[in-house]
This record gives sequence, structure tokens and C-alpha cells, in this order.
Amino acid sequence: MMKGPIDPVTLATPFFIATVILEIVLARFGKLKARYETSDTAVSLVMGLISSAAGLLTAGASFAAAVWIYQHRLFTIPMTAIWAWVLVFLLEDLTYYWFHRLSHERRIWWAAHVNHHSSQHYNLSTALRQTWTGGVAGTWALWLPLSLLGFPPAMVAIQKGVSLVYQYWIHTEAIGRLPAPIEAVFNTPSHHRVHHARNPRYLDRNYAGILIVWDRMFGSFQPELDEEACRYGLVHNLGTFNIVRVAFHEWIGIAQDIVRQPRHTLGWLFGPPGWSPDGSRDTSAKLKTAWAARRESSPAGRKAA
Amino acid sequence: MDTAYLIQFAVSATAVGLMVALAAWATRGRGAPLLDEAAARAWLADEFPGRQIEGLWLADDGRGALARSGEAAFVLSRMGDGYAARQLPWTQALAARPKDGRLTLRLADVAAPRAVLAIAAWPPKALAA
Repeated sequence: MMKGPIDPVTLATPFFIATVILEIVLARFGKLKARYETSDTAVSLVMGLISSAAGLLTAGASFAAAVWIYQHRLFTIPMTAIWAWVLVFLLEDLTYYWFHRLSHERRIWWAAHVNHHSSQHYNLSTALRQTWTGGVAGTWALWLPLSLLGFPPAMVAIQKGVSLVYQYWIHTEAIGRLPAPIEAVFNTPSHHRVHHARNPRYLDRNYAGILIVWDRMFGSFQPELDEEACRYGLVHNLGTFNIVRVAFHEWIGIAQDIVRQPRHTLGWLFGPPGWSPDGSRDTSAKLKTAWAARRESSPAGRKAA
Repeated sequence: MDTAYLIQFAVSATAVGLMVALAAWATRGRGAPLLDEAAARAWLADEFPGRQIEGLWLADDGRGALARSGEAAFVLSRMGDGYAARQLPWTQALAARPKDGRLTLRLADVAAPRAVLAIAAWPPKALAA
């Protein structure tokens, strides 16, 4: 990620460390709900540590692109105006929603994002399980239109950092549901638990960064339901803690598929995760359909309907 | 790469070590519950919903299971305090042979390359050719 003159993520790092420690210790003494596992925690934290270094490799290119676009901007938006910060907050959050949705719904970008979802746990360390390949996946280009509009690249970078820091604290089971007005507008631990769940009814829902209103507007909202506890991780959970496999397994899977069936390269890259030419694999849509059919055919499901 | 970044990285790496050590301390003695038949069936029902289980073999140490469903074999192998599930052809599972009390199943999946189960006697007598 390109960094502005103020980097909210760097500033928040001591807070990340302190709160992970607090969550582990309080959970140990039964003071809050959190489940940790040593290898899982190690993978999450090392992924996060190396992610910060990996991001530097493409930061120059993405920042140079933003600066070049900004030189051809449509308007000049001052970094000192409050209205400009309100606007960049909204537009950056909208951009994040679509970035995040693409990252789940197209396999090439899922390959970069899957790491973040690969833990079977949901705690503050999971928030730090970040990609090493986000830069090469090129999704940073989605933010370039903000520079074209006239937001200074540094301003966009700061707002991206604010969004990342906001999203840290929602990775917890320790916080239940917040008051209804907050749940209605903001992304919360409850909404984001749904996003990390692998239950079919919860798949590909709640893509929001800060404002959950985008999911409500674009039809991807799903509330957390008392009758269905979240089960975390991937549809096919990892069977290894090998960090190289964790980081690159989906990229390798894509490469293997392309080598095996090169004429379906576009499908392997841009189809949804789980897409295959013969339909033999499971996409989210297929899993949801099968779940709905099972629910419909079960006596309890018919009663609920 | 500037010195400030290297210092920041080193401090973060030290903090990671501390947090992992703390997690190890906080969770010591809290492994995943071992699988009995009911638990294995519950896991399989979650992982392979709607699929009929025709045979189930638990690992001797309770840390995994192998099941048959038609022409497919389902395998559950321990992953931290949970389990990872995969499917492979039943004929492949049946052809595997234990070595030193362990049955190794190659899964052809980069995210779960193999499952190793403590099953010393395989295949079961009733299924052996």
C-alpha cells in the first residue's frame, strides 16, 4: 500500500499489538470470548509482518501511477477542507466495497485475498493475516479514479489507512451486537463475522469496509443470525500451516488449472472461485443453491419458511 | 530501505514472537477434542452435507477419520484445534497402505497436500481384496 505523510497503520501498530495481547490474556482467564490456537496465530501474525514488507515492492509503482493520474486531474480538491475529507471518506469506502467484492467474486483477485480468510479462527490476530500478493494483483488501480477526480494521492492513502485500521477491531468474537443504529450504518464485529463465515448462507456477504450501507444498497447484506453460528475459514479449509502454501496456494491452483486446460484460461482467471468448465467444483452460488434446496426439503426448513 | 523501517520491522517481529508465545501459554493443554464416531459424523455432515456415509474408520489416536461415500472417500485430518476435510477417490484410499502405523493419503491439493492418519490396519479385512 502506498503511504501518505501520515500512515495510520504504522501509527496504530502498537495498538494492534496491545489489543491482541489483551484479547489472548482476557480469553485465557475467561473474561471474554476469543479462541486462539498457537500455529494459527503464528501464521496470521507472520503473514501480517511480511505483508507490510511485500507491500513496499509495489508501493512505488502504485504511488507513481496515482501521482501521474493526479497530474491529469479533473478538479483540484484541497486537502485542508473538511468537505473534502467527508467526500474522500465516502468515495474511498465505496471503492473499498467494490474492491472487496471483486476480491471475492473473481478468482484472480481471490487468489490474493484468500489468505485473509484462511484461518478457522476469528480473533484480532486474524485481522493481521494479510496478503503478500495484493500489489501484484493490481487492485490498487481501483483507487486511481479518486486521483483523477482531484483528491491528492496522499489524501487517498491516508483514508485507505484509516479504513484498514477501522477494520481491525471488528475481527473479534468478544463484541456481540452493538446498538441498532450503529449496526444499521457501520460495519461491526457482528456483520464481519458473517463475512468470515463459511456457512453457505453467509458466503459472499458483507463486503463493507467502514459503512455497511453499501451492502444494503447493493444487495449483499446478511445479518448474523442467532440460529446459525458462524463457522470460520474457507469452504475447503487449509490442511497445512506451511506459510508459503498459505500465501500462494490459490495462485498455484490457478497455474495448475491453466496448464491442464489452457483454452479455459479466461475462466480460470476471471470466473468465480470454484468455477470449472464442467461445473464439477463448488462455487458460492452452487453451495447456496444446494443449501437452500436442503433447507426447503427438511421439515424444520419448511416450517421456518 | 531506511534504518527507521528496519527498526520498526525488527520491533514488530519481536512483538510477533511475544504474541505467539503468549498464545502458546494461553492455550496449552487445550487441543481439539478427539474424534469419536458421533463427532466425526458431525464434522462430515458439515463438510459434505447431504452425502451418505457408508463406512467410517476413526484414527487410532482420535485425530482423524476416513469415511466412504459411494465412490468417494472423505478424510478428516487434524488442523490445529480443528479439522480439515478433503475428498478423494475411494479406490485411491483403499489402495493406500499404512507404514509405521500411519496411513498417508495424497490429496493432490496444494492447500492440503496429504493427510496422515494413525490407522495401523488398512484396508479393513472386510474390504481387503
